Amino acid sequence: MTMTKEEQQQNHIAGHKEQGHKSLLQSDALYQYILETSVYPREHESLKELRELTQKHPWNLMATPADEGQLLGMLLKLINAKNTMEIGVYTGYSLLSTALALPPHGKILAMDVNRQYYELGLPVIQKAGVAHKIDFREGPALSLLDQLIKQEKNKGTFDFIFVDADKDNYLNYHKRVIELVKVGGLIGYDNTLWNGSVVAPPDAPLMNYIRHYRHFVMELNKALALDSRVEICQLPVGDGITLCRRII
Amino acid sequence: MANNDQNQTEAGRHQEVGHKSLLQSDALYQYILETSVYPREHEAMKELRELTAKHPWNIMTTSADEGQFLNLLLKLINAKNTMEIGVYTGYSLLATALALPEDGKILAMDINRENYELGLPVIKKAGVEHKIEFREGPALPVLDEMMKDEKNHGSYDFIFVDADKDNYINYHKRLIELVKVGGVIGYDNTLWNGSVVAPPDAPLRKYVRYYRDFVLELNKALAADPRIEICMLPVGDGITLCRRIK
Repeated sequence: MTMTKEEQQQNHIAGHKEQGHKSLLQSDALYQYILETSVYPREHESLKELRELTQKHPWNLMATPADEGQLLGMLLKLINAKNTMEIGVYTGYSLLSTALALPPHGKILAMDVNRQYYELGLPVIQKAGVAHKIDFREGPALSLLDQLIKQEKNKGTFDFIFVDADKDNYLNYHKRVIELVKVGGLIGYDNTLWNGSVVAPPDAPLMNYIRHYRHFVMELNKALALDSRVEICQLPVGDGITLCRRII
Repeated sequence: MANNDQNQTEAGRHQEVGHKSLLQSDALYQYILETSVYPREHEAMKELRELTAKHPWNIMTTSADEGQFLNLLLKLINAKNTMEIGVYTGYSLLATALALPEDGKILAMDINRENYELGLPVIKKAGVEHKIEFREGPALPVLDEMMKDEKNHGSYDFIFVDADKDNYINYHKRLIELVKVGGVIGYDNTLWNGSVVAPPDAPLRKYVRYYRDFVLELNKALAADPRIEICMLPVGDGITLCRRIK
């Protein structure tokens, strides 16, 4: 996500709100109610530690919020996921949520262009005793995905794939992950409501990065709705997650 | 809830059908509906939704986005044997019936058979009526009967509760035994029009204010219940998913 330092500082203007207070809900009070009542009391201590560590980081608005981590954990257990993939790691909150939800022999192939942020969170993941489930690869995901696709035996091998990365590449990721996820498996695309900007009028004041990626997000949403290989559900959790269950 | 309340649009009551959400704007909610929900909505569900929109108690109906979510969830967990407490005209019931396999079964309970029968022709036309066993009457006596027989314990994959909020905790005491370990209970309306955070002096409709205490208590109880893992989703009027772990 290309955002200048200046834009980061101004992120209170029609940009993503501060960590712990960004939601698509009618009020922050309602969001805090959900967090205080149902999320924080149930949050694994390692997740809490990772969340607090990440809070100090300048790019913290990229982090997966706690309510979304909780949803991911529940989904993974409900579908008995064992083999998963994550594109976009940052400091690893959704990665840790995933690792905690998988069985001891579960595996996660995790990709991010930036190893540094992953290494910030890794000590917490190690302390939680789940680092052995993670295979982290630094670098752009597309090339790795293309390599995986070349081998038939990789197709349909993933139970769950979570995409939380560069929005201008989501459709490109989709072309590959739709083959890599198993029939009946689940892909999750994060940030598909893009701070609510999907419905902002053309003249609304938006941060540059919001405006730049908005178009890609809206195109993605249209494409997923039309894709007959998946059944979809767009949830207003976090910044919007679209769940796609592969049916053919 | 009196019929003559439902045409007024003051704060503190549920908004009109198709426009009630907990989101930052109705525009955003309509975006989700127009982009991801309506284009995928089964024609029978659409028909039932439109039929129900004409009914005076239509604010009780499950919203289309919630129906879509329930349908997906049921497929993800390979549900076969489910229960529904609170049917109204049957939108969530139909969403469920469409998601279950041919041999899937739903025990559906409501104190009002009339409303169910309004939607039943649509359910029949969709070819899924055979999956439904409808029982008219209060749910608690039925649940108590079922509890007496050990073989009913842990026999449900999914249970959806969308009924009288002052009885949710009473339902929970039974359902936690009837749902299987690893199964899911869904409690609807747990964010209660956002009134869970309304200040004490906020203007609320009587029924919203009356049931709010029960909703708040339920939410606390579920968060403290070690037999389940929970997830509170801001879909519809708020659904709390509870996965039984022991």
